[in-house]
Amino acid sequence: MKRMICITINGKKYELAVAPNRTLADFLREELLLTGTKKGCDMGECGTCTVIMNGRAVNSCLVLAVQAAGKEITTVEGLETEDGLHPLQEKFIENGAIQCGFCTSGMLLSAKTLLDRNPHPTEKEIRTAISGNLCRCTGYQKIVESIKDVNEGR
Amino acid sequence: MPLPEFEFHEPATVDEACRMIGELGEKTKILAGGTDLLVNMKKKLLAPEHLVSLDRIQSLAQLDSSNGSLRIGPCVKAAEMAESDVVISDFPALQEGASKLGSPLIRNLATVGGNLVTARPAADFPPSLIAYGATLVLKSNHGERTVPLTEFIQAPGETVLSPDEMLKAIVLEKPSPLSGSAYIKLGVREALEISLLNVAALLTLDESGGTITAARVVMGSVAPTPLLSPSAEKVLLGETPSDVLFLDAGEAAASDSRPIDDFRASAEYKRAMVRELTRRALTLAFDRIQTQ
Ligand SMILES: Cc1cc2nc3c(=O)[nH]c(=O)nc-3n(C[C@H](O)[C@H](O)[C@H](O)COP(=O)(O)OP(=O)(O)OC[C@H]3O[C@@H](n4cnc5c(N)ncnc54)[C@H](O)[C@@H]3O)c2cc1C
Ligand code: FES
Ligand code: FES
Repeated sequence: MKRMICITINGKKYELAVAPNRTLADFLREELLLTGTKKGCDMGECGTCTVIMNGRAVNSCLVLAVQAAGKEITTVEGLETEDGLHPLQEKFIENGAIQCGFCTSGMLLSAKTLLDRNPHPTEKEIRTAISGNLCRCTGYQKIVESIKDVNEGR
Repeated sequence: MPLPEFEFHEPATVDEACRMIGELGEKTKILAGGTDLLVNMKKKLLAPEHLVSLDRIQSLAQLDSSNGSLRIGPCVKAAEMAESDVVISDFPALQEGASKLGSPLIRNLATVGGNLVTARPAADFPPSLIAYGATLVLKSNHGERTVPLTEFIQAPGETVLSPDEMLKAIVLEKPSPLSGSAYIKLGVREALEISLLNVAALLTLDESGGTITAARVVMGSVAPTPLLSPSAEKVLLGETPSDVLFLDAGEAAASDSRPIDDFRASAEYKRAMVRELTRRALTLAFDRIQTQ
């Protein structure tokens, strides 16, 4: 039986009925059509489904939508503001840190939670912060450099 | 991979949760962080009819370090353990285990309680918790009981929890001031890695700082359950810390270990690594006593 949930996504409140066995990843993609959140493994291993839930980056494929009730979710669609793209997005584009793009949403959100807590991370801290996000294209170097560039205000 | 259908319950208190798991019957599962349970349900290994989520019970998600002990709510996340000041200062081996579990994303979901109840031989929380002498508070509709962690885990995936019981708290005594501890996880990569094996060590010295008065070496992934090494303890007790002594303790721990050959490594390699990681963990624990 579906349940009513109240959930804030990218600053917008939704009140919706959802089946308990719906994961947050499927809920975002299939019901809200927020397909910026990707789904690779569906098992917590690849990080493409990363969203920020109450300030922490999590694998949305391992969260039930009903568990996210009452919480604040940020997806990649929520990074852009009236002023334009998020600085991380700008740097990813400038540095060519995106190839196929499948990992990008997750990378951006993991990087954002890092910079929100720790505005001047070391390279090691950056690499640890994105260690749950797999990239099969870039070799990570340009991603790490982009996060560093934001941190150094370049 | 769609999840099988189930009914979802969200009790607000521990009593309500116990009542639910008592009444809903065998096909009920408690849901904490979901990083084991939801994966097993997606793989169709489990199909519970009811999920009882502990998410809304705030008392289960707290760390309390008043009166000389640390009381860990089962729903405290690995990330919160890794960031906690008390855990960092008084239980460094626990901090190391928490900060090595899965990935940052997994650590924001995975709970301590889920890790213990899952009872995997390679899990990152049991070794250090056993080294610190953890006891678990189990609760059902019929009352509470306390069980040492060494007795809680029975076999891979099996604990002494009965179906109508839940884990309510994990309690640790603060090690005495002249103590040091460490946890080392061996894997082939830094993140998203299940331990090839792991070792936690705890050393306590007498007041003069010369003699070892308490010692524990706990190994993971070298037996069906995390293993406390009685031989290593025997080698260490009453002795003066030294490189040679730590090497002997490693030898003793290796003799207690019962690793098997599997696709990850040979038993021989694992035994050799128990020897070396025990030596390193003890050395690190001893260094920490001296620098504190
Ligand atoms: C990609 C990935 C990587 C991982 N890497 C690691 C790793 O490196 N090291 C490691 O140790 N583990 C790892 N795990 C396993 C898992 O994350 C941990 O075991 C985690 O601590 C489980 O906690 P949870 O809160 O998610 O448990 P859940 O999945 O919610 O629950 C697990 C089990 O415990 C029961 N349970 C939970 N809480 C209670 C309670 N209070 N009382 C009674 N029963 C309860 C549930 O019913 C269920 O059977 C990994 C998992 C994934 C998906
Ligand atoms: S789809 Fe969630 S971690 Fe891979
Ligand atoms: S850009 Fe293709 S996976 Fe990262």
